[in-house]
Amino acid sequence: MSAAEIFWQLLRGAPYTLLVTSVCAATGLCVGLFVAALRRARIPGLQVIIAVYAYVFRGVPVLVLLFLAYFGLPSIGIKLSPLLAMALSLGLTAGAYLAEVFRGALASVDTTEIIAAEAMGFSRLQIMRLVEFPQMLRFAVPGMINEFTTILKYSPFAYTVGIPEITKQATALTARTLQGIEIYLCVGLLYFAIYRVVLSTIRLVASRYQVPGIGNS
Amino acid sequence: MALLEVRDLVKRFGETTILNGVNLRVQKGEVKVVMGRSGSGKSTLLRCINRLEEPTSGSIRLHDREVTGPSVDIRALRRSVGFVFQQFALYRHLSVLDNVTLALRHLGGLRRNEAEEKARHELARVDMTEHRHKFPAELSGGQKQRVALARALAMDPDVVFFDEPTSALDPLMCREVAILINRLFVDGVTVLCVTHDLTLARLISDRVIFLDRGRVCAEDAIENLSSGHADPRVQEFFGQEASGR
Repeated sequence: MSAAEIFWQLLRGAPYTLLVTSVCAATGLCVGLFVAALRRARIPGLQVIIAVYAYVFRGVPVLVLLFLAYFGLPSIGIKLSPLLAMALSLGLTAGAYLAEVFRGALASVDTTEIIAAEAMGFSRLQIMRLVEFPQMLRFAVPGMINEFTTILKYSPFAYTVGIPEITKQATALTARTLQGIEIYLCVGLLYFAIYRVVLSTIRLVASRYQVPGIGNS
Repeated sequence: MALLEVRDLVKRFGETTILNGVNLRVQKGEVKVVMGRSGSGKSTLLRCINRLEEPTSGSIRLHDREVTGPSVDIRALRRSVGFVFQQFALYRHLSVLDNVTLALRHLGGLRRNEAEEKARHELARVDMTEHRHKFPAELSGGQKQRVALARALAMDPDVVFFDEPTSALDPLMCREVAILINRLFVDGVTVLCVTHDLTLARLISDRVIFLDRGRVCAEDAIENLSSGHADPRVQEFFGQEASGR
């Protein structure tokens, strides 16, 4: 089988890889922002729940969480689709890490700006929405790029729950052709290409919102 | 009737008393200067008046309405007080124009085009129109100060507070700040300025209040305070300031 034919076969899995990566990145982003907002709200009981969430999802391997969600939960009557299981494992793990990224980025927001907003009469929610979060997102760009890249690299776990993404195509192709070296080299190149596209897209979006004096993408 | 009247204002942080019975009156259209050394309670005084800090006791009246106590709408009070901070505190992610329009749109309820029109007017007042699309990181200290002032003026406050407006500026810029404050005086804007900069005080006001360890020690013309005042604390402060420390 030629390299071109291998690539063509593998490309059939690329949309699924992108789908899994996008869904998990979106889940991670939403959860990370939500957790960062809850932390900022400083509601006493919630801080414990957030700490437990971060502890569990950063400490347990993604594959174990995925198997727990996809193969474990049906035993108590909860059956999830493969994509939802990925979102609940990889997405929530990414959320725990992104929450830390956002926490660090929030700490970079100048407190005098927050006090100035209070002095002008803005509410706590308005300050978060209009002053803290817009700056936080800019400061967090390098950390977000790092986390989104990690999500892409963990996306092959999706093949273990039957999603026909690139790695799934590769294992099937290898079993048929026994051209392991060529196939997995092509897989590596394909992931690298996707990584470059994702990176360029994020940098393009970040540069659109970049302002002098805040962070570097 | 004074626009702003502070009576027996006390502020304690734990065992430490920062303000110990401060009395102050600011008339409408007046430029009032409060001087004192670092730690004398000048900034805390401003922060208590607009309730960034809760006064321990005492009375603060703005337009003859009491503004201490739990029933006061603190956000409404803050909207009526412009505040220019020592470090300018401009929002780094917003352009000069957006810094000025932010409160107009989200607190004043103006539409974007209405807010921008008002912001352009305020920026013209401080000669910053041509810099309206720049970001704070692209401005000099003096320019940031002007934008901070335009932002404070945009909401048409009853009184504008300046907290050490020249401490982050070079001497030339200090004169510019004085010119700006004098322009406000001509426009009838009420100003309460805390500073330890004697040059600025001389340029913007005839009389100053001298604060020491949370108490008003003297209120007099600068000339009287700086030449042989009876109170040794006043003598010491104005002697040091006049000789540039």
